Amino acid sequence: MKRNLRVVIARLGMDAHWRGSIVVARALRDAGMEVIYLGNQLPETIVDAAMQEAADIIGLSTLSGNHMALAPEVIRLLREKGMSGTPVIIGGTIPPDHIPKLKEAGISEVFGPGTPLKKIIDFAFSCN
Amino acid sequence: MAILFNDNAIKEITRQKSQWREQVDESEDNAEKVFETLSGLPVEPIYTPADTAHMDYLNDLGFPGQAPYVRGVHPTMYRGRTWTLRQLAGFGPPEETNKRYRFLLREGATGINGVFDYPTLRGFDSTDPFARADVGRGGVAIDTLEDMRILFDGISIDKISSSLVTCQPICNITVQSMYFANAQMRNIPLDKLTGTSQNDFLMETAITISPELLPPKVSFKLSCDAIEYCTKYVPRWNPISFAGYNYREAGCSAPQEVAFVIANAIACSEELIRRGLSIDSFAPRLSFFLSAHNDFFEEVAKYRAARRIWFHIMKERFGAKNPRSLTLRFHVQTAGVALTAQQPLNNIARAAYHALSAVLGGAQSIHIDGYDEALCTPTELSSLTALRTNQILQLETRVTNTIDPLGGSYFVETLTNKMEEQTLSLLGKIDEMGGIVNATETGWIHQEISNSAYKYQQAIESGDMKIVGINCYCMEDERLPVELFESPETLNIQEQKLVKIKSERNKPGVTEALDDITRCCEEDRNLMEVIVNSVKAKVTQGEISNTLKKFYGTWNSPIF
Repeated sequence: MKRNLRVVIARLGMDAHWRGSIVVARALRDAGMEVIYLGNQLPETIVDAAMQEAADIIGLSTLSGNHMALAPEVIRLLREKGMSGTPVIIGGTIPPDHIPKLKEAGISEVFGPGTPLKKIIDFAFSCN
Repeated sequence: MAILFNDNAIKEITRQKSQWREQVDESEDNAEKVFETLSGLPVEPIYTPADTAHMDYLNDLGFPGQAPYVRGVHPTMYRGRTWTLRQLAGFGPPEETNKRYRFLLREGATGINGVFDYPTLRGFDSTDPFARADVGRGGVAIDTLEDMRILFDGISIDKISSSLVTCQPICNITVQSMYFANAQMRNIPLDKLTGTSQNDFLMETAITISPELLPPKVSFKLSCDAIEYCTKYVPRWNPISFAGYNYREAGCSAPQEVAFVIANAIACSEELIRRGLSIDSFAPRLSFFLSAHNDFFEEVAKYRAARRIWFHIMKERFGAKNPRSLTLRFHVQTAGVALTAQQPLNNIARAAYHALSAVLGGAQSIHIDGYDEALCTPTELSSLTALRTNQILQLETRVTNTIDPLGGSYFVETLTNKMEEQTLSLLGKIDEMGGIVNATETGWIHQEISNSAYKYQQAIESGDMKIVGINCYCMEDERLPVELFESPETLNIQEQKLVKIKSERNKPGVTEALDDITRCCEEDRNLMEVIVNSVKAKVTQGEISNTLKKFYGTWNSPIF
């Protein structure tokens, strides 16, 4: 039997808002995934944790506006450590014109405010 | 005693109401639909005098400015003085935020409401590795006293009041100290200063958690240190603003919002009394910050119920006598969490309704959110539109002409009673747990908020709760009709100032100041005075917080 999807969830940098990340974490857990919730972290720690936990997906959350500085850094470190196959998704207050830039940097999907939880769950399953 | 209705009339109304009910065609009444408030309180199709028949007008409602203050904290309310237009502002380096403050004051804002960036709120210097990507975001970056000088340059802080949104006590203890030190350097005596600091330990340990948190007991001590200091030296300053707004943003229901702020205020009062202060020396300066969310009548009822609960607790539990101790005074911000990134101009309408509920609930000051807050920091245009919305409400709608206009509404009075009942039941639970600090340490508070947040999202997900632009009336391929805010360059500016200050300052003086802080921790004394002295010695915010973290250790929040 195939093991459950393992998702590492972290809030980027110093962002203060946990509501979105916790609601998504609970929804993914209720959908049968294993969630490892890291709280606030910098890219290096997130990638190290994802490696140790053999994460299938990394979920990032930020509402502070630090996404352009920190999210591409997560991708860069994943590539450096030979984990470029691990999809990275991000949610939070991301201005629409940043979405193509984040995808270009290697982020698999961007989920802005108002995204239905089902959409995130479906996307996670599709990564399997 | 002033019972409102006679028994016979109530009996007759009750009898005729059931007759009326029988005549209603169930098929037209959406019989299967559950009618309830946003926080889950049941809502009946109609309310009559029978619902409020048990109420005693003089004891349960009274007059504005009189016990139990349900109808307002001042005898004249908005007829005498309207609410303060206190629009939140802060971004980038202090040089930029100073310009925004001056712009808002020029356009008619009547107070400053300054918010600090993520690193400042958590006690980190801008140059800390953890801070660098967040410098100047969500608020203004403050590292040293020099930044505070720049932030208020040219602003008459002896005349206008400043609200410092120093959410976490670890931020407040340095940033508030910088504000006071800056005033002293401008030769303004501390007893001339008016304003408010947020300074709420729940913000630090449960609501906006961040890396390297101080344990709840320590954060709570810092919060009480600031209150004690202000009571003695800055008597016109509100040294705490219990941040129910933020609790609500994190997920709380309306009764949880009120219960948690009041439980927090009870804990602070008990601690300050333990330190030898009398209730009436500090309680007049305890202030509250509440949300205005989507359910219009529930919000009005919430404010009214909060005032009645506070009155009884202050009078009966603490024996307060000063009328100012007995009145719950609050600032309101319209709910950011209720705004949508989709069709953002709709948020102007949402925030206006939110603000109206705050006015009908008797708020002392109001911030209306910018329409772009689900997308970015407010632009100058969205800030101005929000300020104008506040002014239109104040000047054009005439809702200020009479006091507590919804008082006496059978519905609003019933909802006020229900809100009071739910809140008191939560307060009872917290008391059983040994108070709010214990309830935070065990993670109970986190669990309560997280459960409410999840429930709220599931209601949107299922479509039970309609949000325009989210689960109904969505628009495909919507083009964003607004310009977005770009955060100005901040890190380089802060870094340059820090390098310069660190190279020029008196190094032995810095070491001495930091040693004083450690000694003060060891002796378990009030930290405010030594920290005010430290910032004058050009010690940075990060250096002060690191000294505190080194002594007290850090704590992992039991959030998930």
